[in-house]
Amino acid sequence: MYDDINDELNPWVEMLQSSAVEDRLVAVKTLQHMGDEEAIVPLIQALEDEDTSVKKIAITAIWELTNPIAVKPLMACLRSPDAEVREEALSALKELVAPADLLILLDAIEEDNFYMQLNVLILLRKIHDAQALPYVLPFFESEREELREAAITTLRYLNQVETCPPALALINDSSAVVRREATLTLGYLKDEEVIELLCEALTDDPDWQVRRNAAQSIALHKDTSAISWLKKALSDEHWQVRKFTARTLQEIADDSVIPALVKCLTDEYSDIRRDAAIALGNIGNPEVLSVLQQTLDDPDADVRIFSQRAIDKIRQQQTTVNQ
Amino acid sequence: MALTTQRVDVPVIVDESKCLEKCQACIEVCPLDVLVKNPETGKAYMKYDECWFCLPCEKECPTNAITVQIPFLLR
Amino acid sequence: MTNTQHLKTDVLVVGGGTAGTMAAIKAKQANSEAEVLILEKANIRRSGAIAMGMDGVNTAVIPGNSTPEQYVREITIANDGILNQKAVYQTGKLGYEVIQELDSWGVKFQKDTYGNYDLKQVHRVGKYVLPMPEGKDLKKILARQVKRHKAKVTNRVMAIRVMVKDCRAIGAVGFDVRNGDFVVIQAKAVILCTGACGRLGLPESGYLYGTYENPTNAGDGYSMAYHAGAELTNIECFQINPLIKDYNGPACAYVASPFGAYTANAEGHRFVSCDYWSGQMMLEIWKELNSGKGPIQLKMTHLDEDTISEIESILWSNERPSRERFHQNRGENYRTHGVEMHISEIGLCSGHSASGVWVNEKAETTVPGLYAAGDMASVPHNYMIGAFVFGRLAGTNAMEYVQDVSHLEPDADWLAAEKARIYQPLQNPDGIPHTQVEYKLRRIVNDYLQPPKNTHKMDIALNKFVNYHDTLNLMGARDPHELMRCMEVHFIRDCAEMAARASLYRKESRWGLYHYRLDYPEKNNQEWFCHVNLKQENEQMTLFKRSVEPYIVDVNLETEVYDVKVTSK
Repeated sequence: MYDDINDELNPWVEMLQSSAVEDRLVAVKTLQHMGDEEAIVPLIQALEDEDTSVKKIAITAIWELTNPIAVKPLMACLRSPDAEVREEALSALKELVAPADLLILLDAIEEDNFYMQLNVLILLRKIHDAQALPYVLPFFESEREELREAAITTLRYLNQVETCPPALALINDSSAVVRREATLTLGYLKDEEVIELLCEALTDDPDWQVRRNAAQSIALHKDTSAISWLKKALSDEHWQVRKFTARTLQEIADDSVIPALVKCLTDEYSDIRRDAAIALGNIGNPEVLSVLQQTLDDPDADVRIFSQRAIDKIRQQQTTVNQ
Repeated sequence: MALTTQRVDVPVIVDESKCLEKCQACIEVCPLDVLVKNPETGKAYMKYDECWFCLPCEKECPTNAITVQIPFLLR
Repeated sequence: MTNTQHLKTDVLVVGGGTAGTMAAIKAKQANSEAEVLILEKANIRRSGAIAMGMDGVNTAVIPGNSTPEQYVREITIANDGILNQKAVYQTGKLGYEVIQELDSWGVKFQKDTYGNYDLKQVHRVGKYVLPMPEGKDLKKILARQVKRHKAKVTNRVMAIRVMVKDCRAIGAVGFDVRNGDFVVIQAKAVILCTGACGRLGLPESGYLYGTYENPTNAGDGYSMAYHAGAELTNIECFQINPLIKDYNGPACAYVASPFGAYTANAEGHRFVSCDYWSGQMMLEIWKELNSGKGPIQLKMTHLDEDTISEIESILWSNERPSRERFHQNRGENYRTHGVEMHISEIGLCSGHSASGVWVNEKAETTVPGLYAAGDMASVPHNYMIGAFVFGRLAGTNAMEYVQDVSHLEPDADWLAAEKARIYQPLQNPDGIPHTQVEYKLRRIVNDYLQPPKNTHKMDIALNKFVNYHDTLNLMGARDPHELMRCMEVHFIRDCAEMAARASLYRKESRWGLYHYRLDYPEKNNQEWFCHVNLKQENEQMTLFKRSVEPYIVDVNLETEVYDVKVTSK
């Protein structure tokens, strides 16, 4: 059947045609372990095997050979009804797809199959190509929240996309999962409304992970108009929101947030005490020296170290100014 | 010299009803080479008590016949 | 009658792990016509320290994040000044090329949304840690490249001795661990890449193979290099790691810390400021464990469900995947339980600390034609990227070296004597099982060598190790597999003797807990700012000082102390 295959491989390639599933399993496993690139064609054929286990091992074996001719046959596995087959094929394709495969992906995303669409949206993140944008946009209005979430996530992986008005609405999506990703993606967009939307999400969203992500995204923009909102978020009920807000304030802050940061020096969570101390050091106002001094006997080593550094930093600046 | 045979709880358990006689997958991947085929039954078993509980045998088995437990002394 | 196989190759690579596969690939890239053979006692698909994959790179020097000079400074300080900076510089300089090449082979490093490498800070200064959340297939990818480059692989053959003639390495002898064949390989150059000595101390669980390192790594290369006449260095700078108690796998604070997890004492407070493993950090951990505030833990209970799930998905799929069932068996959960941590038994490993076979910046040992790379080659804190870098250097330089040399016939008498020595346990199948002989040896290592070090105890240890030759002769093996384990016990004994002698020789304390001597508790730069090297001379283990090469990156060790603790004022 395969005339050009070497003697070592041949018995296993033949065994792969056996009617007994046990034999086909042994054959496909052995071919996987041999890792011989000549076996690629019979292995691709084994993707059609009726037995799911044979199929899955064939996917793994093909993956290990990393031959680009396998991209199309593996794509077909993305619509499999078996979750494990889809997952294995997706993992293999994450490694195999290259920018040259963009058109195959864009073809496939138009197929009316939920799994195919979801998986292709994920694969597009490996290619970073802005040409995919028109194909991603329709999914912002999909009925399925999984597709909206995947699409808004993929958007931030597309290079050269600076503004995207249709994406902004998703920060108010009904699903928290979609809003979390939308908030992160807005960190990379430069639409005019972005800062205001992020500040509203930071202070008003009912989901704490959205609020935390908003703090992270604001750090990317470094926009000082957000300072008053960040000040409010320093007293958020969830500690991770307070922590990421304090971190963002390490980048952009002014004297107006000093009282709120000082309050954080006695926060229950050590991460916040540390991050607030760093932010105070960066602001550099010597009035906080005495209160920073008090944190030097904090039970947490990180807090002590970073407080000391903040104190040193402020003192150094003082010396420079005085000279 | 006198030797005794001591019972040991072994980490690698093979379900013989699933183990395929022609298959060598687990034996080939074991870094410590502790698995062999029973020549009478053709089924794999753990012959040497030297398991690092690293799991390739379990993951590579095409019929999920293998379960690796954490060795008793560490469990 | 034992069958003998004779093999011949240009470059012989002993050990097909991280460094070995890379050495073979680079040797073939340097000259595809020449023959390269990897000898592996397991199977290269799953062997070596990264058999199950790796979840991150510890020492990635990526332009824009850090420079090779900064990296050399950091390692100089972390290793208390005792290093060959030129060798460490190679890891800083070539690491980025390694990462790019691995990337092109399909190894997945974490990237940010712009497609740039997503580095994390774990060291005191500088970002060097690059996560690989999908790093479970690293070894398979390397095996594939070995095949593509047409390097030959012989699995399940264990090397025992390097053959030396006219003062240069001319091959190796070993045996097939399944059929028992005696194997003689002639080569023009030999690259040793056999990993750490991970079976030196005995884990507190008492399970011989419950080690941090892959237990196949028994110090084979340390012993082979020693018997070939090569110098070894910093052997007293032990490897001791903070690990999950009993499981003995890494808690991976550096994986979990970017998510907000941290190492804490029993009261839940941090007591070290930096999760990068060093002897200084280990000393702080040892003190904390021995204070009223132990035991210590990796604390994650303060994190939310989504974060913990993400940490779990990384930690349970890489490096040591059985960790999930270890916790489950005990009914422990990161949401409600800290991960109890402990300090490991001792080992020798330059990947983590500094003990290994002396190599220069070309991966050459002091024996011509003999190269070393990876955990067994002394380039401090070299980790996985350093293993790749020195694998590269060894492969390329060995291939250049073999152009001008020819094969030499091994000495027949030496071969016959070596064969008799190796197979002796098979003549005595009812001899003492290797498990018992190994257990006792490693228990002595724990009792007398585990830091803090004490001269009286180490004197006892040395005496016991020297006399242990007689005990080794009592060992019996019933098949080639058991013979492999017997030979590993020989390697472990050699490493134990080296560890005792080197620790006694350096009369000061250095590297935090790694070489903490109760009778010389202070660092003494006046007398001991030098390497302690050892080698075989007239059948004797000889120790001597070797001065530290002039620095190429200026570091003032008086002012830049490696400080990971901060005491409250």
